[in-house]
Amino acid sequence: MSIILSLCLIPLLSIFLIQILPRYTWGTLKVTVLLIWLEFIVQVLTLYPLLVNKIAPIPVIDGFMVDKIAILFILLTTLIMAACFSHSYWFFSHEFKKNNSISLSQLRIFNVISIMFYLSMIFVYCLDNLGYLWIDIELTTILSAGLVYFNRTKHALEATWKYFVICSVGIAFALLGTTLIYASSQLHGCHGSLNVSYLINQTQHLDLNLFKFGFIFCLLGYGTKAGIFPLHSWLPDAHSEAPAPASAMLSACLLNCALFAILRLNSIACLIIANMASLIIWIGCITILAASLFLLRQYGIKRLWAYSSIENVGLMLVSIGLNQPWLFFLLAFNHSLVKSALFLLSGNIMQITNSKELKDISGLIEFSPVMAILLVLSSLAITGTPPFGNFMAEIILLSQLLNLNFIYPFILIAIALTISFIAVLTHVGKITVGKPKINYIQLNNFNYSLIPVLLVFLSLIAGFFFTNKLFIGMN
Amino acid sequence: MMIIAQIILTIFLPLLMIGIIRKLKALFQNRTGPNLFQPYFNLFKLLKKNQVISQDSSFVFIISPIISLGLVIFLSFLLPWLPFNKAVFESNIFLVVYLLALLRFLTIISAIDTGSPFSSFSTSKEVTFAVLLEPAVILSFLALAIFYKNTNLFYIFSSNQTVTLNQIPVFILFAMSLFLTSIVEFSRAPVDDPNTHLELTMIHEAMILENSGLNLAIVEYTYSLKLLLFLFLMSSALAHCLLIWWHLSVFAMTCLTVFIVFLLLILLSFIEVFTVKLSFNKIPNFIAYALTFSFLAVFSAIVNRS
Amino acid sequence: MNIIDFFSLTGSCFAILMLGSVSIRLNLWLYAIQTFFMALSTLSESFKFSNSELAIISLVIIIIKAFFIPIFLNFVIEKIKVKSDSGLIFPVPIGMHLGILFLGFSNLFTLEILKSLPEIHHSGNITAGISLLFTGMLFMLLRKIAVSQIIGFLTLENGIFLLGVSITHSMPLIIDLGVMLDILVAIMICGLFIFKISSSFEHIDVTQLNELTES
Repeated sequence: MSIILSLCLIPLLSIFLIQILPRYTWGTLKVTVLLIWLEFIVQVLTLYPLLVNKIAPIPVIDGFMVDKIAILFILLTTLIMAACFSHSYWFFSHEFKKNNSISLSQLRIFNVISIMFYLSMIFVYCLDNLGYLWIDIELTTILSAGLVYFNRTKHALEATWKYFVICSVGIAFALLGTTLIYASSQLHGCHGSLNVSYLINQTQHLDLNLFKFGFIFCLLGYGTKAGIFPLHSWLPDAHSEAPAPASAMLSACLLNCALFAILRLNSIACLIIANMASLIIWIGCITILAASLFLLRQYGIKRLWAYSSIENVGLMLVSIGLNQPWLFFLLAFNHSLVKSALFLLSGNIMQITNSKELKDISGLIEFSPVMAILLVLSSLAITGTPPFGNFMAEIILLSQLLNLNFIYPFILIAIALTISFIAVLTHVGKITVGKPKINYIQLNNFNYSLIPVLLVFLSLIAGFFFTNKLFIGMN
Repeated sequence: MMIIAQIILTIFLPLLMIGIIRKLKALFQNRTGPNLFQPYFNLFKLLKKNQVISQDSSFVFIISPIISLGLVIFLSFLLPWLPFNKAVFESNIFLVVYLLALLRFLTIISAIDTGSPFSSFSTSKEVTFAVLLEPAVILSFLALAIFYKNTNLFYIFSSNQTVTLNQIPVFILFAMSLFLTSIVEFSRAPVDDPNTHLELTMIHEAMILENSGLNLAIVEYTYSLKLLLFLFLMSSALAHCLLIWWHLSVFAMTCLTVFIVFLLLILLSFIEVFTVKLSFNKIPNFIAYALTFSFLAVFSAIVNRS
Repeated sequence: MNIIDFFSLTGSCFAILMLGSVSIRLNLWLYAIQTFFMALSTLSESFKFSNSELAIISLVIIIIKAFFIPIFLNFVIEKIKVKSDSGLIFPVPIGMHLGILFLGFSNLFTLEILKSLPEIHHSGNITAGISLLFTGMLFMLLRKIAVSQIIGFLTLENGIFLLGVSITHSMPLIIDLGVMLDILVAIMICGLFIFKISSSFEHIDVTQLNELTES
């Protein structure tokens, strides 16, 4: 119980604070940022002992459970959210100066919704009951729609509508899958349950056919939310139309949530269904390949990173298919760090150049060298170049694929990663070198690059020390 | 005894029903409306008049209304439209369906025979709808046959069948499909307005434009008798559904059937008052609904068949 | 066939009729009737098994999904003054016939499911559930107005609920209520977005929301 309290007390407090104060000012936003960092520290203090102890899953109340991987994901989510919040202070203050279209009340709504969104994401990791999990993930969809619609423009509206409808329908299928799983647990004598911890121990009593159908529907449903290939069409729109901090939250935290739901389900499915691994791995492969092909021809800077997210979702899906939660965490960790840095950076670049089209941006290295170097570094990191963490994670993934004799997926993924490496670096190269246009705006380099530097640095550390140790330790 | 009652009803009810429809329409429109027995007076008037027959027409024009009348009277013995009528002949669903088709054929050739441009024009419309409507009619009858595994209509509608919840959807959907079918078949609103005499839009009225005197009287009587048969068939299907709760005597069933026919007449005149005539290219959409109900009837027959 | 199957199949027939009507208000009516029949079927099942949780959830469905949501959507369409939704791809009646085809398919599916699960009795309920699922999907695919998309989504969700009731012995009450709440909130937000779309695009044709496609 104290875990749940430690998770939600401070965010609730900050929502309360924002709502109770009569006027919303920049000071309120500063206090919120500090509160989220405080929350991160509290979480580290309360959850770290659980992480080190030997007792694995910690049942909290019925339907809630925290295990080690969940703790890691909670910490990751809080870290990213805190980073995005801190950056959003500078980001929005510039937006505020630039145009009068956004108002403080809009910012207040953004602030409240994003904290609620954060809470709903945290709970995804604590839930054991698949029904609650569904409700919570639908809640993240509803709340994040508010974030995507921040700009109140036509394009934002269109992106929000697509995001909302496609994800809701996809998630409805996950509800169907959840229902079927519940039915499968009820048929052969034992009383029905949706708790993952219970179902894992009762696999011999589950009805195989119903469970298989249920799992496939859930995979489709949560896969829509994660952006697997044929169902990804909402993702680039939503991620490119949201303001930069919100895009970073969506890409670095929300995708992990949807994938975590698949992980939870797969932990049961891999015990029962023999060839489920290859199905998930193939879906992942196709997603990676398709995303890398989409990356080749892009016109928007944020759409580029959105497709790169889809590619990384494919990689994570493959790791889920291999049934290696730690590898999944590793991929998610590195991706989240670097991708949030990239989205925040591209938010800055869009503020400098006043455009989101790739063709309008050039010569960043002359105009703002810090930003350009950071962009190059983080795009190197996201495409899996050594010595960043992504490289380590991808190498482990590929070697695992070879070990388990998945030759064709291995080849496909290797090709796709190469393609995406070329594609991303071509686009980034075009941005950085060349002649800058005249109407660019100078930004304060220190403020704007603080958070991205921190994130990229963390990814670098992860690549050097943390990755190998973690992975060997966990296996 | 029963057969006499049936014959009396066959003779007197059809025109009364037309009168009731007109009266109801008038009441809906806040008019006094014609006398209930006005159709009878019209019939007598027509019988007194001379026939004018086009020089270009052949014997088909004169003979086909009479054959049609014979066929409809024959149909009235084939269809179990009253709870008490007995099977005089072996009544087969396919026989009924093809007799209906033959009836339509006779109407069509008599309309074409005169060579009048208006009747040919409306005949082509009529044939278009007939083609679209045919599956709906066949399938709705077939649904009953599928359910009972029997094509004898008197067996299907016999009142000593035990009715369970299984039959109800089949009967209701059959009745609904038949209702929509009969709106098209009898050129009622919203497919056609029976009151207009605008030659370009009307369907049924233009087909009998050339008939006059005795010939026209026969045609009108045939029309109303056919409408009577369809409505009574619908209402006995609906009355059948009520057997699940009450087991009624034959007399009570008859009263119930007549009452439901009256309700159907109200519905028919209500639709005629409150809807606008559909444009020609919308009518296939309307027929599609009849088809939908007959599909659903077939589906429920297949699902519920024991 | 028993009364439970009768109600749920009647509901799915109304859903099929919904596929064939162009007027949005009529669609809302048909949706409400269909939901009402679905709730009636659940209610009669709850009496049969004397399951109070099922009774509560069916009453909640009647109140929220059969009354409140149609009234709310009706309010939305009256505000934005949209009356009809001519179909996409096919003429509307063909969509209806496709719906019947899928009703037939869902009956076949049901027979397959029952072969492997002899414990389940209400075949009609399962057929209706699968058919509502298909109908909802068809409705979303074949229509282009945003309100129709919502109606299709709700129909689909009805199908999932009905399927859940018939193959499980009812989901836990708290989950059903949570799902209902989520859907209610989602529909309200969709309504707000429809207002926004109609005021900034001056139409609510979803197929023409394509400014963001790759250029």
